Amino acid sequence: MRIKACAALVRASIMDFMQFRLSAFVMLLGNIIYLIVIYNLWRAIYASVDNAVINGMSFNDTMIYLVLASAQFTFMEAYLVWEMGRSIQSGKIVLNLLKPVPYSQYLLFGIEGGNLCAFVVTFIPTFFIVQIITRGAIHMGVNLLFYLAAALLGMLINFAIDFFVGTICLYTQSTWGINIMKEVVVLFLSGATVPLAFFPETLRKIAMFLPFHAIYNTPLTFLTKGHEMGIGESFIMLGEQALWAIALILIGKIFWKLSERVITVNGG
Amino acid sequence: MKRLGFYISIYRKIIIQDIKSKMSYRSDFIISMIGMILTDVSELLAFYIMFLNFPSVCGWSYHEMLFLYGFSLVALTPLQCLFDNNWHLRHYVYDGEFIKYCFRPINVFFYYISEDFDTKGLGQFFVGMGTIVYAWYKLDLPVTFVNIAALIVALFAASLFMVAIMNIAAASCFFLTNSGYIMVTMNKFRDYAKYPVTIFPIFFRIIFTFIIPIAFIAYFPSLVILRPAEIPFLTWFSPVYGIIFFYISYRIWMWGASKYSGTGS
Repeated sequence: MRIKACAALVRASIMDFMQFRLSAFVMLLGNIIYLIVIYNLWRAIYASVDNAVINGMSFNDTMIYLVLASAQFTFMEAYLVWEMGRSIQSGKIVLNLLKPVPYSQYLLFGIEGGNLCAFVVTFIPTFFIVQIITRGAIHMGVNLLFYLAAALLGMLINFAIDFFVGTICLYTQSTWGINIMKEVVVLFLSGATVPLAFFPETLRKIAMFLPFHAIYNTPLTFLTKGHEMGIGESFIMLGEQALWAIALILIGKIFWKLSERVITVNGG
Repeated sequence: MKRLGFYISIYRKIIIQDIKSKMSYRSDFIISMIGMILTDVSELLAFYIMFLNFPSVCGWSYHEMLFLYGFSLVALTPLQCLFDNNWHLRHYVYDGEFIKYCFRPINVFFYYISEDFDTKGLGQFFVGMGTIVYAWYKLDLPVTFVNIAALIVALFAASLFMVAIMNIAAASCFFLTNSGYIMVTMNKFRDYAKYPVTIFPIFFRIIFTFIIPIAFIAYFPSLVILRPAEIPFLTWFSPVYGIIFFYISYRIWMWGASKYSGTGS
């Protein structure tokens, strides 16, 4: 019964995505512009050190890492904090709570279909463009499967963090500020702004200790360094992600349970 | 002149009301301010980390890059503070609420834009100013009257460009539905204004100079202060170009508004 409901939600979100096909192409265009800027910027930066390998990152690695981090952002980011903030402010949340599926699952499966479509329409083309620009620097092997698994887990972690932060909106009634803070912290500490390999030692240790690196850094590492890593090491990385995902989803659920009772809807 | 005084007095009244209404959500104001400052600080941290690993970018040192970044932040403050209502335009147009702006005996663009003063943009202003002062000090630039005056004029000119780009992007909603992604995409360009345009190959340099003129937001005007020995013609031209570009965006916006026929509700 539950599966049927979730499948219906996924289908609805796919249809919703199809309704806005044009936006997907604009997103892809945005990715390509970003790619052009990043390519030129980092080429200029690497030119200043004679194209050496810095902290284990060559120019190609940096390109793959940053451009695909941005592409990953376009399919992972579902603006969930916005969605929650808006439904809290408008009172629509009351209707969502009456649904026969728990609110967290309602949200998760409600974005899954859109994420999937965005992955196909924006991430895959960007992936091939990067592959062409770096002359096939992404190793095409079993590491791609690891990437898919890691991206899926990263998406769950991202969702759990969003759900937690969205719940905070119940208390603050500030959506924009909370969301921008979350975005900055996640993008910075996950390595999507500057690859974690460039971080100074202490900061990198702190970042590796937090869950955020599992969203971007772990999947992207499978693309840049996957072929150098052993199967065991790869599974350890996936395991760490899975633990984070379970822990964060649990924390989010508990926090939501505690917070549900503070929902106040004015009028209606 | 009398009309200008009239508009200024109206603007003052509207802004005061808007700030009053925003102050009733004090925690939101504080959280948004912190969020804004955090965004800019993370960007500074990114520069810091980048320059720990690399000595320079295309001949630009760490402090010169900081100057460019601080300059772009301050130049983007008017956009953030005064023109933020452009972000809601598509909703107003879509819902039909926009019609209310058309029935007032004042300029539609002015009335619409004046309705929102985004206080959190002030955080960006302070971070930007702090960065400029820090870079100025570290670069040992002379503090003269001419330099300060040049900085102010350059900032004023630079602020017009991104405002104009966003005006045009927002006006697209008069012609297309679901124009949000146009605004989001154009808005991304502001992030690229902090890099020296010389890192790009000639084709993109032309685009970023004449078509989507983000090179004027920080790079060209900053040269007056940073590289006074080699100021290109375009730097001198930027205030004039800024005003022309802003005027064009205003005409496009007004043209779109004049096409607006409401939703019939």
